[in-house]
Amino acid sequence: MKAHQSDRLASALLWVGASAIVMLLVAFLVLILGRGLPHLTVEFFNGPDGVRGQLFNSFYILFLSLVFSLPVGLGAGIYMAEYAPKNKLTDLIRLSTESLASVPSIVFGLFGMILFVNMLGLGFTILGGAATLALLNLPILVRVTEESLLAVPRSYREASLALGATMWQTLRKVILPTALPGLITGITLVAGRALGETAILIFTAGMNVSRIPFDVNPLAAGETLAVHLFAVKSNPLPGTNADQIADGTAALLIIMVIVFNICLTIPSRWLQHRHQGKNKA
Amino acid sequence: MPTRQKFDHELEELRTNILNLGNMVNEQITDAVRSLINQDLELANAIVVKDIALNDLQAIIEEKCILLIATQQPFARDLRKLVAGFKISIYLERMGDLSVDLAKVTIRIGEEEFIKPIVDIPRMSALVQEMIDIGLKAYVDEDCGAASEMSLIDDQIDKIYSGVFGELRSIMMEDPNKVTQANYLLFASRFLERLGDYCTNIAEEIVYICNGKRMDLNE
Amino acid sequence: MDKIVVDKLDLFYGDQQALNKICLTMKEKSVTALIGPSGCGKSTFLRTLNRMQDLTPSVKISGKITIDGQDIYAPGTDVVLLRKKVGMVFQNPNPFPKSVFENIAYGPRIHGESDKKRLNEIVETSLKDAALWNEVKDRLHESALGLSGGQQQRLCIARLLAVGPEILLMDEPTSALDPISTMKIEELIAELKDKYSIMIVTHNMHQASRVSDRTAFFLSGDLIEEDVTSILFTRPAKKKTEDYISGRFG
Repeated sequence: MKAHQSDRLASALLWVGASAIVMLLVAFLVLILGRGLPHLTVEFFNGPDGVRGQLFNSFYILFLSLVFSLPVGLGAGIYMAEYAPKNKLTDLIRLSTESLASVPSIVFGLFGMILFVNMLGLGFTILGGAATLALLNLPILVRVTEESLLAVPRSYREASLALGATMWQTLRKVILPTALPGLITGITLVAGRALGETAILIFTAGMNVSRIPFDVNPLAAGETLAVHLFAVKSNPLPGTNADQIADGTAALLIIMVIVFNICLTIPSRWLQHRHQGKNKA
Repeated sequence: MPTRQKFDHELEELRTNILNLGNMVNEQITDAVRSLINQDLELANAIVVKDIALNDLQAIIEEKCILLIATQQPFARDLRKLVAGFKISIYLERMGDLSVDLAKVTIRIGEEEFIKPIVDIPRMSALVQEMIDIGLKAYVDEDCGAASEMSLIDDQIDKIYSGVFGELRSIMMEDPNKVTQANYLLFASRFLERLGDYCTNIAEEIVYICNGKRMDLNE
Repeated sequence: MDKIVVDKLDLFYGDQQALNKICLTMKEKSVTALIGPSGCGKSTFLRTLNRMQDLTPSVKISGKITIDGQDIYAPGTDVVLLRKKVGMVFQNPNPFPKSVFENIAYGPRIHGESDKKRLNEIVETSLKDAALWNEVKDRLHESALGLSGGQQQRLCIARLLAVGPEILLMDEPTSALDPISTMKIEELIAELKDKYSIMIVTHNMHQASRVSDRTAFFLSGDLIEEDVTSILFTRPAKKKTEDYISGRFG
């Protein structure tokens, strides 16, 4: 009887926990979107204080940072999961990755500033920002990749190798497709972080926006939406609707993240479907 | 390993049952021969009745073998013991039937005076009983060596039988009035000779239990 | 003709010896069963024959294994070709999370077959040979993970047949299956015997006695006894074999 009661209690508690998450999300959306959505007008993007430049910069920096971090992160993760022998060196690599993953982002920002802004003398640039962001995300990418690959059952590898496939064929045709959902989740996580990152970018990409619309010059300074939100809120310029701009920017950031997630998830579902065949058990 | 212990226990039980069956057969043969010599019709009739119990015991052994093969799915020596036990029980049952046949000879002859002194039949009977005793002991001990001993005794029985055959044939040719009883006596010795053959069959099964080899001791 | 000849095979995991001077030959187009208690080395032995054991770190092998007269551990041996010739079925059915068709076509594709028509043919014949065609012909493009356990195992056998092997190694192929599926695999083995040489590891001694021509009994890394199956199960020569198959240990 006692076991039965504690079972029901546990179920109830777990249910409360799960619904708290949903409620939190709803409250979050209602509050931020409710306050911000009315401000999202054409004026808000294209006006004299419009955020068109920041919006573009956000995606541009995200894109560049992924270009830098994905090949290295995926490559290192795959190596660690599939090829690396188990020895002291790989243990050291794993330890380094984990330590790097837990370094506060502001420290990365400082590192980026010393390296790109000062030592290389680039000043505040989109390139420096993207590169530092890539450094921030690299350890996480390596770990996520390694873990997604290790989650692929050993039996798939054995089956493939026993059929006479090489390691590379096995990786490309069996392991990576199977690990794809995990990889996509990892990339989404990293991208979300990049979209929201401020500390690093204040130190490396600066708080100025190019006057040219859609300026792709990587050596220009580039303030992103998140940085903009921080700037507007912490240091409001007199004579502007700082609060309104901040609310609008926050809402826009959320919409961006949601849209971005959807854009990654739907094609990945489709790919998986194609790969696994219909009616997965 | 309780399963294995239970199986061992059941094999032991099976062996006891086969021994009991063997002893019953031995008694039947003793009684049958005694009834013949003493012209004891009452005893002869008792043998016919007792055969029913013997058949029942054989049926129990057969059931047990089938059940153990089905449930234990034995291999190697266990399998050989079961298969051999099965066959030995069938041979013993046939030997029981032959004792009944012997008793029926007693009944047929009735109180008619013997045409000759009955000497060879008790001799053959003693040899058969010796074979049964050796066989049952060898079965318990799983003693391969007893088989050749049994085969030698069977040769003796066969020799006596051919002697009896010749003797009775001359009697029949001399005096046609004696043909009927001579025939009965011939049958009786023939039954004893067959009993010896069944004993060697049992010896073959014992050899099979011991080393898994099939050999023919009747040659 | 002798298909596989193993001569004084030793295998070590680090310092621990897992196989001890194994000598065994296997005839072409026959079924050899390997039996023995868990950890006796029978699976390890099986995996030396297609060099899947190479994938385990710190394994050391000495002795000689020849297949069709070729030393498979000789330097310069093409492991890809070896594994194409010596296929393996595992204990748990392990189809890829792909469609039935893609599972079968995987092997031929990695070995360079790209002609669509040819692939269709291979898929069909392999499935037919594995006695699965009638059950899956209408769902070739559905996920293989939707099949039952027994069907998945036959799919794995079909996937193996598709690369054209000569020897099939089966590592407890029915231990995860129900009795009906097990029977189907056993029937399949009986059919495949006409074309392939099969070595099967099994914990089920009755399965070994049903499907194999010869049986080898392993115990703690030693090959205790190897003989014609009917002899080994009715009158084994060694006491250890007798005790094991009578359920006295293991």
